[in-house]
Amino acid sequence: MTESRRRRVGFAGCPPERVLEPLRKTAELIDLDNVVEGVEERSESLLPRTTCRIIRRILDNALALDLDEIVIDDGYGKCDAARGLADLLADSLEIPVIRTQNENREPSGTPISDSTLPLARKVEMILDELVRPQKAELAPQPNPPAALWGVPAADFTLYELFPDGTQVLGWTRCLENRTPADWEVETYVPAGIPTVFFAQTFCAKNILAQHLAQRHKGLHVDVDGVLSQPVRAKIEAFLHFKGVRG
Amino acid sequence: MALLGDFGTTWTKLLDTKTGRRWIVPTREARAEGQRADVATGHNARHLGPRYVNELIALAQGGQRMIEEPEFLLLDVGSRDVKYVHMRDGELVGMDWTATCGALTGFTLELLGRYYEIDYSSVEPSSRSVPVTCGILGMEQLFELVSQGVSEVEAVARFARGIAMNAFRFIGEPRQFYLSGGMCDNRLFLRSFPDGVGVRPLGRFVLVEGLMMELEASAPAEERAR
Repeated sequence: MTESRRRRVGFAGCPPERVLEPLRKTAELIDLDNVVEGVEERSESLLPRTTCRIIRRILDNALALDLDEIVIDDGYGKCDAARGLADLLADSLEIPVIRTQNENREPSGTPISDSTLPLARKVEMILDELVRPQKAELAPQPNPPAALWGVPAADFTLYELFPDGTQVLGWTRCLENRTPADWEVETYVPAGIPTVFFAQTFCAKNILAQHLAQRHKGLHVDVDGVLSQPVRAKIEAFLHFKGVRG
Repeated sequence: MALLGDFGTTWTKLLDTKTGRRWIVPTREARAEGQRADVATGHNARHLGPRYVNELIALAQGGQRMIEEPEFLLLDVGSRDVKYVHMRDGELVGMDWTATCGALTGFTLELLGRYYEIDYSSVEPSSRSVPVTCGILGMEQLFELVSQGVSEVEAVARFARGIAMNAFRFIGEPRQFYLSGGMCDNRLFLRSFPDGVGVRPLGRFVLVEGLMMELEASAPAEERAR
């Protein structure tokens, strides 16, 4: 590590606040789940082909970003893939890999998920807040025109298909609430709102997504990286015939 | 009045609502001539007109215009993909679209017909099928059969049955369904579904019919009243 730059810490998932909070003051925090410009895909030879796009991205970022430390949440709020990835990172890199388990049940609230903002902006803010917490005054949307359940998408163009004020549900909502292992929050689906249930292709959350979609007469889709024309068309058609207009 | 266009991967279907004229041209020719439409659907049609309607919406709306029953299942087998909608009382209760498992099957059947100079109207369906997970893999199986001494016509018939069975499973093996797309003109394909399954072909202009609903919805009130 050179003296000219701050310590650079990458994190994956939603580590506990007691771990993130001090790091925000002393280090440059990088969310490894997100796209980082200029990072090449090098994980292909290290991971099975049936690995979801987010796990691939975490590894790509971890290999490329010259990090000093990695904090990875490998508790109940994450998945077996993340636990395996933690081992892979620890064995492949010469930097500390800190494993955390975030079992927090104290809700931070979901004002972003329930606001009138465009959906892409909501998810962007939820992800940004992990690195830079902010308290913005947001207008609540009392009657969301639609809802999107799931995890943050690898391809943000997914969010452009939904009207402003679309409610955020699922694990992304847990993320804003800082309760990534809260099954009750994750499975919360309000009645009467046309809801799309989304998970990354190859992610185990697809079981829950499909089940909830059937139970709530919603639409289940899975996407591997870039949003395909058929998936885009299915979401558009679902919203169209539910009378949801952009 | 307007020009409506379904710009498929291989064929473009056009309808002039003023004259009622309907015609089909190869998509590569339509592209070369810079063909556009007032309302467009189909692969790569998003930028071919002022209004674009995605294929699933066009298919569902086309079914609503052409089918009288309140509940129907409508399958579209295109050149490069397979999709369906299940409508009940105007509500979309089921749909899917695969561009992977059904990839290139329609295109391949058309290609094989030309290659072997087969008149599909005179070929008897086969009771056996080639496992067609996609057009390319299916073709590999077909050539293998021919090399083993199976006649070209029988091999193609098995391929057609493979496509039909794939599509049939894809839509949940219903007792009857409606069919849209170029396969409506392929007698062998129509007869390659399991016995007792009712296949009702609607022709190649179902998606274009669906565009009519978009046109009507956007027409001024007085025009709609006429």
